[in-house]
Amino acid sequence: MPADLRAPADIDRLIHEPARLALTAILSVVDSADFLYLQRETGLTKGNLSSHLAKLEEAGYVAIEKTYRGRVPLTLVRLTEAGAAAFKAYRARFKKFLEKS
Amino acid sequence: MVDIEKIEKRAVQSFYDDGLNEIALGLVFLLLGGYFFAQAAIPEGSPFNAVLSALFVLVILSSGFLVNRFIRFFKRRMTYPRTGYVAFKKKEPSPKRRAAAMIVGGIIGASLAALYTLSPSLKALFPALNGLLLAVAVLLIANKIGLVRFYALAAASAVIGVAVTAAGVGDLKGVSLYYGLFGAAVVISGLTALVVYLRRSPRPEPEGPEGPDAR
Repeated sequence: MPADLRAPADIDRLIHEPARLALTAILSVVDSADFLYLQRETGLTKGNLSSHLAKLEEAGYVAIEKTYRGRVPLTLVRLTEAGAAAFKAYRARFKKFLEKS
Repeated sequence: MVDIEKIEKRAVQSFYDDGLNEIALGLVFLLLGGYFFAQAAIPEGSPFNAVLSALFVLVILSSGFLVNRFIRFFKRRMTYPRTGYVAFKKKEPSPKRRAAAMIVGGIIGASLAALYTLSPSLKALFPALNGLLLAVAVLLIANKIGLVRFYALAAASAVIGVAVTAAGVGDLKGVSLYYGLFGAAVVISGLTALVVYLRRSPRPEPEGPEGPDAR
């Protein structure tokens, strides 16, 4: 397959899914965010958000830490180094693909 | 298609949704206004004036510390329970950028000092100079985060500074008036943003055991 046509196939499909792309884009500019913040910014339901975060966590792209702020439980999510690298690569590849098409 | 840049910009803007940064910064400007007013009111050469001048660094440093505390205190009580917790990356400026900022700051400071020494009548222009310099700073922030109300604040800074000078209130009194008026404008902008934010973002119902934190 020519390299031009192979480009879309090389795209990281885990990140390419719109909800997960929005999540990684947000997490790329913040240090960490909690579940409520991510839910409000993405407009996802709790169940959807949990499921997408679980997929990203499984791939090692995000780290989920359960902690407390005072007595309130807090689920903190942050992009791992692998996640940041994958997002950067996805962006570069997708930009290149759009420029060629 | 997902607009990545828009999402990233929106995440940065979310930090300013509650107006708390403006309220804190506006209070610092009001404090500066009060400081310059006291300096103008106390006769030159008086020991109080010397003490006040020496306190300037302390005022600046303590206001930086208080702004941080103020924002953290209210974000914990008002913002995080409503729209969630978010911490932004602390970007240390690169040595090149830091050097460039120091050079630009030095050039501006030295130019103002030289102009002032050459022509003491420039004191009359102090409010306008303050207004225009702060307008540029606010404009840079507005450009970075893309919030319309920051463009309005940049314009307000320039207009207030020039208007105070045009009204013939120069020197320290003019500077204190400028900081007082601009501080009030920034606080009002922040309070308006806060009211809108509180109306739009009611506290969510407490989570049951099946909530996200039970994962």
